Amino acid sequence: MLKHPRLSWNLKCKLCLAPSLAGIAVFFVIPYFRVLYYSLIDNQFSRSFVWLDNYVRVFHNEYFQLALKNSLLLIVTAVPVLIALALLISLALTFGIRKLKAFRAAFVLPMVIPTASAALIWSAFFSWWDSPAPLYLLFIWKNIGICVVLMTAAFSGIDDSLFEAAAIDGAAGLQMHAKITVPLIMPTIVFGTLLSIVNSFRIFKEIFLYHGGTNYPPDYDYTLQYYMNNNFLKLDYQSLAAGAVMTSILVLLIVIGGLSLQRRYSQ
Amino acid sequence: MKKKVLSAVALSLAAGLFLTPLAAVMGASFWAGGKATLQNYDDLLFDCFNFYPMFWNSLSYAAVILAVQLVVVVPCAFGFSHAKFRGKSLLFVFYIVLMMMPLQVTILPNYIGLREMGLLDTRWAIIIPAVFSPFGVVVMRQYMRGSDGLAVEAMRLETNSIILIMIHAVIPQIKICIFAVALFVFADNWNMMEQPLLFLESEHLKTLPVFMATAGDNISSALFPAAVIYMIPALLLYGFFSGSLEKGLTFGDLK
Repeated sequence: MLKHPRLSWNLKCKLCLAPSLAGIAVFFVIPYFRVLYYSLIDNQFSRSFVWLDNYVRVFHNEYFQLALKNSLLLIVTAVPVLIALALLISLALTFGIRKLKAFRAAFVLPMVIPTASAALIWSAFFSWWDSPAPLYLLFIWKNIGICVVLMTAAFSGIDDSLFEAAAIDGAAGLQMHAKITVPLIMPTIVFGTLLSIVNSFRIFKEIFLYHGGTNYPPDYDYTLQYYMNNNFLKLDYQSLAAGAVMTSILVLLIVIGGLSLQRRYSQ
Repeated sequence: MKKKVLSAVALSLAAGLFLTPLAAVMGASFWAGGKATLQNYDDLLFDCFNFYPMFWNSLSYAAVILAVQLVVVVPCAFGFSHAKFRGKSLLFVFYIVLMMMPLQVTILPNYIGLREMGLLDTRWAIIIPAVFSPFGVVVMRQYMRGSDGLAVEAMRLETNSIILIMIHAVIPQIKICIFAVALFVFADNWNMMEQPLLFLESEHLKTLPVFMATAGDNISSALFPAAVIYMIPALLLYGFFSGSLEKGLTFGDLK
């Protein structure tokens, strides 16, 4: 040990990783392989391999298709609105009247408000409305805070001299922001979009509590997480496992795509 | 100038709109039978005795998870920024991907791990998997990229103890990041609903969202006061730590 102080320091640093790695191995990685195995067998008793049959069955299941459609619809409608709104709000907070900076709390606060409290008032307001729109609003309300935090931080980090140079060139207002400010924080925008897409997959308790704790919401609010939850309750491990593996691949592709896009913008 | 005023008005309107749900929950909690009253609170606090254990469960789960998670996460982030080994950046990418995985992917592996260890339907089922959430590791490691290693190097000349180094040279530097992570982790676990629904059978272990989902069948007047009380711990914590959010929460360029 004394002969190689550098080695022992490095070893100690590696040991710092151990508790986290052990926990992640035991509760995430190793059981994930079990999930993979479950997704390839016919049932818990005979355990013979049917390979991709479960996947094909889940994929053709009408509820899975409905859930997938609703989850994708949420991504293509609510996420762009969320990002555009967060961008406008962050611009107004950073470059608007200084005293109004305190308003940031109004947009960030919903992030820490328990979903159950929000869903309660949402259902009191919107229960007459036969549409997924109220849930989209709830999603935007709850998830805009993190984007506002990240974007205002990125805007504040921009060098003031850039604005002065732009002002000399005659650019002002929204035009200046569209040409200079927004492209500068493109990596943050990409990351905020990625985070919001990922968060949209998580939306479940919002819907569950909005509809008063039911396992059978109206068709338009039936999302992927609902599909998984109901298979959990039915103890249908094969569908559950195949659904989980497919979702993890989808998310993995989205994350890798998002991160490489972000990297391209930061160069 | 005109434009600035216009944007200020729009911003104020938007802020008001975003605060409306909070104001409405509070208003509704004091409203019954067409007038302002404390009756709803009376119904909750004196007639719903299952509210207290559920509140306590939520609070103790969130507090214990936060405390233990910080003990796991700070050294892990430190290890990521100071250890040298092959595949480190790939391992970190794995943490990022895991952080992004939705609950519907991770909950079944969690369930299987807990079942193998015989921990289902115990408090540990809620606490242990949550402790190993990768979120804090990613955020803190990114934050540490911005801080210099000089303090650590200087401290290494004085002591061999990595624990002392962590306490004196690392934690003070990343304090603001720890606050931001703490706020997030608490709010997230305080909000936890799926795990208690799927990992627990016993009523006496369940949490506030479960109360909110089921109490409506018996005493619906108690729901709004419960929603208000449920918000309070998160609001308090936000009041204390919101200042660290912008500076502490840097995902930076994830690479």
